[in-house]
Amino acid sequence: MSISSAVSSNEVHSILPALVVFVPAGAGILIFLVGKLLWTRAAIAQLAAAATLAIAVSIGLAVLNGDVLICFGRQFRADELSALLLVLVAAVSFITMIYCPVYMRHLVREAGIPSTTRGRLTVFYGWLMLFIATMLWACLSNNIIMLYVAVEASTIASGLLVAFSWDRRALEAGYKYLMLLTVGITFALFGCVLVYATGSSILGGSKGLLISELKKVASSFPSTTVALASAFLIVGFGTKAGIAPFHPWLPDAHAEAPTPVSALLSGIMLKVAVYAMVRTVTLFYPNFPPVAAFVLGLGVFTMILGDLMALAQDDLKRMLAYSSVSQMGYVMLGFGLGTQLGIYAGLFHIINHALAKSLLFLAAGAVMYSSGARMLSEMGGLAKKMPITSFCFFVGALALSGMPPFNGFQSKLALFVAGAQAGAWWAVILAIATSLITLIVLVRAAKSIFWGKIPDSIPESVREAPARMCLAMLVLAVGCLAIGTYPQMLYSPLSKAAKVVQTVVTPPTDAFAKR
Amino acid sequence: MGEVSPKIVHTLSLLMILTSFAAVEAGNLRHATVAYLFQALLICGLLTVYSVENSALLYWAGTALVTKALLPPLFLWKATEKSQQETKPLIGFGPSSVLAILILIVMYVFTHAHASVFVQTALGSGSTPYEVGEGLISLAETNLAVAFTVFTLGIYAILTRRDAVKTVIGLCLLENGVHLSLVSLAPTMRETALAGIATEVVITVWLLLYVISGIRDRFGTTDTSQLTELHW
Repeated sequence: MSISSAVSSNEVHSILPALVVFVPAGAGILIFLVGKLLWTRAAIAQLAAAATLAIAVSIGLAVLNGDVLICFGRQFRADELSALLLVLVAAVSFITMIYCPVYMRHLVREAGIPSTTRGRLTVFYGWLMLFIATMLWACLSNNIIMLYVAVEASTIASGLLVAFSWDRRALEAGYKYLMLLTVGITFALFGCVLVYATGSSILGGSKGLLISELKKVASSFPSTTVALASAFLIVGFGTKAGIAPFHPWLPDAHAEAPTPVSALLSGIMLKVAVYAMVRTVTLFYPNFPPVAAFVLGLGVFTMILGDLMALAQDDLKRMLAYSSVSQMGYVMLGFGLGTQLGIYAGLFHIINHALAKSLLFLAAGAVMYSSGARMLSEMGGLAKKMPITSFCFFVGALALSGMPPFNGFQSKLALFVAGAQAGAWWAVILAIATSLITLIVLVRAAKSIFWGKIPDSIPESVREAPARMCLAMLVLAVGCLAIGTYPQMLYSPLSKAAKVVQTVVTPPTDAFAKR
Repeated sequence: MGEVSPKIVHTLSLLMILTSFAAVEAGNLRHATVAYLFQALLICGLLTVYSVENSALLYWAGTALVTKALLPPLFLWKATEKSQQETKPLIGFGPSSVLAILILIVMYVFTHAHASVFVQTALGSGSTPYEVGEGLISLAETNLAVAFTVFTLGIYAILTRRDAVKTVIGLCLLENGVHLSLVSLAPTMRETALAGIATEVVITVWLLLYVISGIRDRFGTTDTSQLTELHW
């Protein structure tokens, strides 16, 4: 069968998937080239992020109309699931870019970061744009080996961003980040290679590289190969997604990176890793349900461990980082249920956590920007001085804890219903209990930052964060509230994306008939 | 197509395990770098030998020459300019040697008993682009055993060596093991994918050594047990 005849009726050749990756990548390279000469690196980054968002949205609209966009001989393939992640990555990146310049200038000047300001910020924006480009690439790759390459590239692109401050803590975090993630992701490579090798022995030739082709033959894989490949893929991509017990790099990296980078790491990078896992591991769901059970078990363990660790933290950003571990557990729980509703709920929670956690990190950054403090025990009484930040932090905290009328409530409710429907009552009970811990962790943090008296260590002159930082936070807060009160707007894209993923109960042939 | 001589393969494989072990054990980081260099050259040699069966593997040998044997040793040589003595490792030479031999035996037995799990397209199956006789099936298995041993030695180095530069050498070994195993696992893989994988390793090694140079400046040592700023 030739490639052209294999292209199904709804697949449309388009330049957009290439553009959405090349625009931020090109901007990154341009910043490296001219950033030192001109004072425009932040402007280039912001413009590119805006253009990327526009392209991602147009891909999203085309996909919602029923098209699947392909380019480079189906190496890039934007279906409903890819498009959902693309828009999410592009949107969070763009909002973070609004926040970034003011915060970074302050960080470089005030924290006395060595070497020249200009040079360091050029490097920062250059890598940042490449980092965003690699995440978008991972969302689009239909080539299973290149999917691994893209995910690993996002580690490389963010390595120096994590170590940006170049002090003892940042260097330690950067070393652990690069070393642990590179070793961990190597297992994913083995997994991808096993899937490719087995697939191409059935499909013949380079077709075995394409995930959309592998999907058709995954049911005939030998079960030992499936067990081994799934374990490798879950450990490999799970390390990158912060799944316990492979998470130790996460709190270090997310806490020590500059705040805009933390927001991107927690908000979207973890999701891209989970996406890579879902793309590959769910190939085996219909015929090998134990794979889903393994994902579910890991998810519940991650969810509980992350929140218990968050409870013990005094460092604000570290606490948020551990909370991310826990929330990734919820996402895994949804995917581990292996039902259509479970996958729907997992995807819904990916979006909601991305918005709420980016918001919390940006608000934490605003607090650190204005007060100079980062330990919860050193803060207090900032609500009056920083009303917008305080409002935004509370929105994020309540959203993440699953309180109505915020978005987290909708996705957690969907997760609980999906769990109950699948008969996994034990997981639902544990998830509800963990939600209460999340509420305690975040409300306690919000209370110690914003209520009570301002401690002496914080100057009286402390003020609200600059307008552009507030704007970025408000956009995210409005997003949390809008999805929470009007979740219907996401029903169609989410259910379409969930249908792309294979489930435990639907045989693969049926899944294809539906598409 | 010519025939691969098992004798040459076995000799190169054995030499590679010895050089890998030397890279892990050498107390002087420059000696370890040289041992690593030889190890990487042996990989190129092995790939060249295998290319008698599958000429595409000659590209793999070329990729390995640049991304394994040329660049990483260069970076490592520069990184060890200031201090060449390795921080004392967690586990010394004696137990390490026993462990290395054990790893080799386990991997050999494992791959020869369960090769069918891994080897789908490899030097054996009739549906692959190149067909080979029965003798080569065992060569594929031996190659996997060697690759997995090198991979495990790399992980072992990362876990038990306290010197950050040595852990990077461990990472290089691990990745070389991966590269070699792909010959058995996915010999039909396109060069672009392979080059992508190999290039990323080089960049990671460079970035890690750059961060480690910062660690040396700030901490005054490359001893990872001194990296205690961040506790859970």
